[in-house]
Amino acid sequence: MSDLGKKLASIAFDELGADYLLAMREEHGNVAPVMLARGQDPGEIRLDVPYQLVNILSNIYPWLKDGKVAVVTRRCDEKALEEFFKRELFDPRRILKIGLACSKEQVAKCRCSDPVPAKTHIGEPQKAMEKDELSEKLMAMPPEERLRFWAYQFKKCNKCFACTLTCPVCFCDECILEEKTFVPEPGIPPGMSFHLIRAYHLADKCIECGECERSCPAEIPLLTLRKLLAKDVKEIFGFAPGDRKTVSPLLTVLEEGCNEC
Amino acid sequence: MSVEHVLTTCPYCGTGCYFFLQVVDGRLVGVVPCKTDEISLGRLCIKGYNAHAFVQHPDRLKHPMIRIDGELKPVSWDDALGRFAEELRRIREKHGPDSIAILASAKCTNEDNYLFQKLARAVVGTNNVDHCARLCHASTVTGLLYSFGSGAMTNTVPEFEKADCILVTGSNTLEAHPLIGSRILRALDRGAKVIVIDPRDTPLSRLATIKLNQISGTDIAWINGMIKLIIDEGLYDEDFVNARTEAFEELKEAVKGYNLAKVESITGIPGQMLAEAARVYAKSKKAMVAYAMGVTQHSNGTDLVKALANLSMVTGHIGKESTGLNPLRGQCNVQGACDAGGLPNLFPGYQRVDDKSARAKFEAAWGVRLPEKPGLTLTCAIEEAAAGKLKAMVVFGENVMLSDPDLNHVEEALKKLELLVVADIFPTETIKFAHIVLPAACYAEKDGTFTSTDRAIRVLRKAVDPPGEALPDWQIACDIGRRLGSKGFEFSSSAQIMDEMASVTPIYAGIDHARADNTVLRWPCPAKDHPGTRILHTQKFTKGLGTFAPVHHSPPAEETSEDYPLILTTGRNLFQYHTGTMTRRSPKLEREAPEPYAEVNRADAKRLGVSDGERVMVSSRRGSIALKARVTERIIQGSIFIPFHYAEAAANRLTNAALDPDSKIPEFKVCAVRLEKA
Ligand code: SF4
Ligand code: SF4
Ligand code: SF4
Repeated sequence: MSDLGKKLASIAFDELGADYLLAMREEHGNVAPVMLARGQDPGEIRLDVPYQLVNILSNIYPWLKDGKVAVVTRRCDEKALEEFFKRELFDPRRILKIGLACSKEQVAKCRCSDPVPAKTHIGEPQKAMEKDELSEKLMAMPPEERLRFWAYQFKKCNKCFACTLTCPVCFCDECILEEKTFVPEPGIPPGMSFHLIRAYHLADKCIECGECERSCPAEIPLLTLRKLLAKDVKEIFGFAPGDRKTVSPLLTVLEEGCNEC
Repeated sequence: MSVEHVLTTCPYCGTGCYFFLQVVDGRLVGVVPCKTDEISLGRLCIKGYNAHAFVQHPDRLKHPMIRIDGELKPVSWDDALGRFAEELRRIREKHGPDSIAILASAKCTNEDNYLFQKLARAVVGTNNVDHCARLCHASTVTGLLYSFGSGAMTNTVPEFEKADCILVTGSNTLEAHPLIGSRILRALDRGAKVIVIDPRDTPLSRLATIKLNQISGTDIAWINGMIKLIIDEGLYDEDFVNARTEAFEELKEAVKGYNLAKVESITGIPGQMLAEAARVYAKSKKAMVAYAMGVTQHSNGTDLVKALANLSMVTGHIGKESTGLNPLRGQCNVQGACDAGGLPNLFPGYQRVDDKSARAKFEAAWGVRLPEKPGLTLTCAIEEAAAGKLKAMVVFGENVMLSDPDLNHVEEALKKLELLVVADIFPTETIKFAHIVLPAACYAEKDGTFTSTDRAIRVLRKAVDPPGEALPDWQIACDIGRRLGSKGFEFSSSAQIMDEMASVTPIYAGIDHARADNTVLRWPCPAKDHPGTRILHTQKFTKGLGTFAPVHHSPPAEETSEDYPLILTTGRNLFQYHTGTMTRRSPKLEREAPEPYAEVNRADAKRLGVSDGERVMVSSRRGSIALKARVTERIIQGSIFIPFHYAEAAANRLTNAALDPDSKIPEFKVCAVRLEKA
């Protein structure tokens, strides 16, 4: 058992009283998500690979009949969890958080403006990044050039749906991006509507974890797109997601509408 | 309560992405990409994300069946295999071993395939063993064995992103090999030049630096045209040509007549644009060629592959990082099925069955006498069955009744067989003709290895139990081997099979399950302490000197006529896979591409009075199918495209079974058809 594994197991099972621990560890020369039961050897725990554990948990959660799960949570994961609790998709009494402060490197990769969890169990809290270089570059462009930039980016899309599948806060049961009415193009690439509908749909939910961008095989700078929109939502409505108590000003417009289409 | 994330290999294309299957108490609930995987980099295409969807589908075959009074009835394994062995023995005694053929499978593991060919050679006593590589890259194997001495991708998937120039031809990479396409996009974003030469517009060609559309079946002309220009303008790599190759004079002579004007008149590619593409490719420091079925599936496929080999050798773009000639293999384990000897003329590791010393080695290892005559190819086996000479066929995981050319003819052939045994995971079109049906475990239900298109050994790990009584193919092969009295089938795990395969296959000698478990090994890997080989032909070609082949343009086997004025080309789309047995049972994939269609150029559609979405009838000299027209600019005038995934309008009812003389690959990419309103 590694030191990190020992430490994590003791936080999860002794300190927090969890029945399961959701983390990552080395397996078969790779790093894998792993769900451990109390008493199992955690092995070589690795927290340097950014798996989206909240999204992974949401796949398994419907099948978990009982027990409490301790999850390694970065600040963005904490915010994602809040969105789950807000919608009563997870029972807050069954989810326990082990706060992970992201490394300086990770903060830079995510251009993250909010990297420190409410309570840090593991890692050293790092300074936030103030700006996203690409956002600034794009906003300095004339609109036609900006449009050309995104048009080229979107043309690379091959409709893998990773941006929705790996996103922790894509909540709809029926995804309208699968509907011909909204995304009429047969084959690939899908048209602009695919990306713009998704961007708007996430406007009041995206917690800027960057998983969509990391998972995109076309390397479209999706996180920058989200950041640009989040900035608008904040400026216009004074709202940012990731807090159980606040209610989105867009709620009626987007979520209820979406069940009907 | 158990939750597992089982690392395994994608069962679709030959890219070989790893991913985790999420299993909760024996139920498959999802797919999670593996972020540290060197091939996929934690990304997948839509097929990968949905690779769990068909596994626990209610249609899975769960019990062995025997046809009794025209109907398939469930029986015990003992009855099914007992009958199988008895029939096989009877037919062998009566008609001789060469009246039996075994079809191996590009969807089964290396270990499964090793046993299939061993069963044919060592137990039945015939070299009649082949698989669907015959239909996709047989011409790659024969062509590249001639030019380089090794018929596999010369470089690796990760190298694409570091190339300065990538020439893609006959490959719809973003749809057929999405995660290789993703590497090409990375190169493009970095400023690399991407040249796409294809009769169709593809998602990649629309992003390409240079995009050229040639008339189907005219490829040798443009390749020779490029080579002539490269030699004339002194852009060829003289040092490389002198030191590493032979027969350059013959090549020079052969390409002499291919000036730009003549090439333009044959291919339809504007001469100046072809010249520019040739210059960009030749002058780039690191230039790769990638190709797929648009090159191989022609009646002169072997010559076409040799022409591309000429191009990469003349420019010296081979044997170095981010260069080379790279056939993209279509199925998860089509590379491995070839490596493991699922070919009628080759033992495992490309050792020839008609080579005395190779045969002596296998005879010593297996303790039996082996047949020296190369066996029947898949396409020839169908011919022989139709002629009544082949009596029994054992098919592991292939759906010949949808994937082979000229299906009406295949149907006749299958009906004539005295014994057709099919082992598969779903009831396929082929099973309708089977006498014995055996339920097989799928990729998620067994251990073993695949070999991806870039020669990497990818590990499969069992995530869930097979449904009902289904068994892994290697266990089925072991059982039947033992019933036929052979001693060489005493395996209790797939790892043991790999150990035996490695002991007789020099390119796999250093490979075992324990090593492959945590490192990426690529063959040739000749010893246990050898790290494997990323780039082939670095110091010398596998055969010594690379051989230039003088090849010439010849028209396709079937030309258009007044009655059949259009050229039909077939292929895949992103969302479906092959004959659709898996993808059409995956709701998210089926939803994206639920029905068959024919892509028709706007101008042709206008002339024929056909509008988008209208039902049309497409006919060739062999049959007709009805389907929807998709009017588009994606295809050039005079050609139509139909994906071959759909049984309800099977494109292969139309295709021509004309074969390449060397590799016996059928000409799926060109046949003459007529399109009219239905
Ligand atoms: S960054 Fe992307 S994946 Fe993460 S919450 Fe926002 S939209 Fe979803
Ligand atoms: S992850 Fe990227 S390629 Fe995949 S659907 Fe989203 S934008 Fe398109
Ligand atoms: S690219 Fe190929 S191997 Fe990778 S996920 Fe897609 S189908 Fe599977």
